[in-house]
Amino acid sequence: MRWIPDDIAMFNKSSEYVDTAVVPLLPVAFGEGMKESAAMTDFASILTSQLERQLQGRILLIPGHTYLKSKPEEAVSQLEKWEAELLDRQFKHVFYVTCDYDWKQREGELKGTVLWLPSLPLEQMNEASKVSVMEDQVRQLMNLFIQKWREEE
Amino acid sequence: MSKNRVSRRQFLNYTLMGVGGFMAAGMMMPMVRFAVDPVLKAGAEGDFIATKVKVADITNEPQRVDFNFDQKDAWYESEVTGTAWVYKNENGEIIALSPVCKHLGCTVDWNADKKNPNMFFCPCHYGLYEKDGTNVPGTPPLAPLDVYPHQEKDGILYLGKAQPRGGA
Repeated sequence: MRWIPDDIAMFNKSSEYVDTAVVPLLPVAFGEGMKESAAMTDFASILTSQLERQLQGRILLIPGHTYLKSKPEEAVSQLEKWEAELLDRQFKHVFYVTCDYDWKQREGELKGTVLWLPSLPLEQMNEASKVSVMEDQVRQLMNLFIQKWREEE
Repeated sequence: MSKNRVSRRQFLNYTLMGVGGFMAAGMMMPMVRFAVDPVLKAGAEGDFIATKVKVADITNEPQRVDFNFDQKDAWYESEVTGTAWVYKNENGEIIALSPVCKHLGCTVDWNADKKNPNMFFCPCHYGLYEKDGTNVPGTPPLAPLDVYPHQEKDGILYLGKAQPRGGA
């Protein structure tokens, strides 16, 4: 379910089925890493929105968590607060989807699962290969989700 | 001199009638067209969308068929990809099922769960559907999968808007 009123209404009606929160982690950098951070942000956003279409009955897609790439400490401490709030509510699983590798190294500080995927240069692909590449990535990501859910049972 | 001379009065009568007739027809034709148009439209293609699949290539095994259409939603206009599971049943009829789980809208997959072969499986809450789309009692979904109306034109499969089938 997405962060839109219609979906939230559905979420409130059937919240016992929605036990997973997905937070895209979207870096913002200025200066040198600007383009790279834009690519990461774009890729993670598309990926999570496609993933939501596949698994919408069990996941709530939280609006992306944007942070300054130059202030990693602040980003982590803020995310910890978000995480505490989400786990306090009904969510049993919190997944972070990101293309920024720094998060993988900081996974230990978080209770949720960091799923890192490299951002691919979509802007250089034609329409058809873009779609099929995205589909592959979404399928991989989906399997990780399903695996995690199974582990829990 | 011919026997039937056309008098000036007759000549004017004929010409005026002819011109008047054309003018009346010019006015009436669009009106009639407008009146008849909705009737014609209902019988025509409607909202059927062409897929890339040939009807001859459809087998007994459900296959994933994607099709693109434009969707306008307030200020977003986007090309949306729809998906259908298409196969031929024992009687050779084409069945096109919607992949949207009737529980909470996840996407179901054919033959994805090893424990439940030859069924549609929803990974979110383990909902199951038979091959014909009927929901398996005891799993979360309460209704069978929606069905797409289909048409064949020039050997290509066309799909309409998915229709619910009601609870089972």
